[in-house]
Amino acid sequence: MNITDVKLSYLIEYFLDFIPFLSVTLQYTLLAMAIGIVFGLLMAKGKLGKNRILKGFANGYTAVMRAIPSIVLLFLVYYGLPKIFMGAFAINLTRINKVYFVGITLGLFNIAIMSEIMKSSYLSVDRGQYEAAVSNGLTSSQAIIRIVLPQAFRISIPNVGNAIITLLKEGTLGYTIGLIDSMGRANQQNALTFQNHILEIYISLAALYWILTILLDRGFKAADSKLSYSSRAKERQTVKAGEISKEVAA
Amino acid sequence: MLEVRGIQKHFGDQHILKGIDLSIEKGDVTVILGPSGSGKTTLLRCLNFLENADCGEMTMDGRKIDLGRASAKDKAFVKDRTAFVFQNYNLYNNKTALENVTEGLILGRHMHKDEAIKTARVALDKVGLSDRENYYPSQLSGGQQQRVGIARAIARNPEIILFDEPTSALDPELIEEVLSVMRKVANEGTTMVVVTHEMSFAENVATKVVFMDQGVIVEEDTPQVIFTHPKEERTFSFLKNIIHDTDYVI
Ligand SMILES: Nc1ncnc2c1ncn2[C@@H]1O[C@H](COP(=O)(O)OP(=O)(O)O)[C@@H](O)[C@H]1O
Ligand SMILES: [Mg+2]
Repeated sequence: MNITDVKLSYLIEYFLDFIPFLSVTLQYTLLAMAIGIVFGLLMAKGKLGKNRILKGFANGYTAVMRAIPSIVLLFLVYYGLPKIFMGAFAINLTRINKVYFVGITLGLFNIAIMSEIMKSSYLSVDRGQYEAAVSNGLTSSQAIIRIVLPQAFRISIPNVGNAIITLLKEGTLGYTIGLIDSMGRANQQNALTFQNHILEIYISLAALYWILTILLDRGFKAADSKLSYSSRAKERQTVKAGEISKEVAA
Repeated sequence: MLEVRGIQKHFGDQHILKGIDLSIEKGDVTVILGPSGSGKTTLLRCLNFLENADCGEMTMDGRKIDLGRASAKDKAFVKDRTAFVFQNYNLYNNKTALENVTEGLILGRHMHKDEAIKTARVALDKVGLSDRENYYPSQLSGGQQQRVGIARAIARNPEIILFDEPTSALDPELIEEVLSVMRKVANEGTTMVVVTHEMSFAENVATKVVFMDQGVIVEEDTPQVIFTHPKEERTFSFLKNIIHDTDYVI
């Protein structure tokens, strides 16, 4: 087959065929984000706090997650979790929708990523503002909630955007456990057409993710500039923090 | 009104404050001079519980506080009666100039919002920034930011305002606007403790000048005496260097 043989009509056909399967992508991404935000927040608190045990646990968790290949964790979750639940609680998980296994797997990675993002965003708000607030009559928690966290939140937006894009892409590994998202669907189509449309199928899929990423990027940029009050100095710190999430995700 | 005896402070095994006694009367403008690293900032921070002294005794408005074992109530008592103006302003970057001032009034003083805004406008007017109330810190010059910092301090009507080198982060051409606001505040009878290298301010505004070196108060007297015949050799050589070099050092 030659690249010039790629047919535009097929490209469009497959592209449109894959779109509905993005709902599956959305499900595992949302689940992973929910897990990441809730537990990532606790981990970030552990990393920033004084308790040595919590700190060690949070840092250790992040280090382990950085080391494990996604597919290995996915297999551990998909094959291991039901075994554990069966043995320990006699609960049968094998009938549960595969999207949850993918969501949990991505969520476990995302806890590490989000906790790093939250930690670095929090630290990039100059401590002097907190001190000014408490010397100006605010309690410590008022200072954190009203002064530090809003700025940390805004600083974190680009990094959270990157994290979401990473999740979307990593989720395609779900095909290895038989999940039918757009990647799974592409594999189905490829099998059905005896690999005759292999280029059209995967080019369409790549285009779909490319467009999705562009749209998300735009959305996050818009949210970012809408909330922009902070000084230019802080923008520079965002870039630094951005490298961390990529590192953890890699 | 404020009296401290024997303040000591260590950072690790460094002995930073080696027993400081200081007494401040209502309406005093006490200027603290001293070479960099002599512990001036640490002293101010201990007076406001931004830093906890190792030991020492404070009497404020008749309340005796053991600095080594100050309770949360003691700290709140002192914080409520003092305000701090920082070297690098430490404005809340997520709040407008007006909000920077109202925040402590509403949360710390439990003032009604309308009343807080009224009070804040009076304070901003006093520092000459009525027309900038809706600007964010990143939209203000350093001199303007520091004036907002002063407005934030005076709006709470504290008994003492502590200034830590309020002009040393500023470009030379912006120093005067801040000093003139400080003179105005002093002329209204506000009790102030000012760490500065601005000799003209010390000479013309201070009621008392304290010279600190290596964690001790070397000598204190009226500016007339300190600047014309200091008793201590260390004071003399410090002043000679400063007055010969420029009008300020960092
Ligand atoms: N948080 C801190 N931790 C450790 N050392 C500190 C800290 N703050 C100040 N120091 C040290 O204390 C000494 C006095 O500092 P400082 O009070 O800032 O002096 P000054 O304001 O007179 O220049 C310096 O040697 C400084 O390095
Ligand atoms: Mg200092």
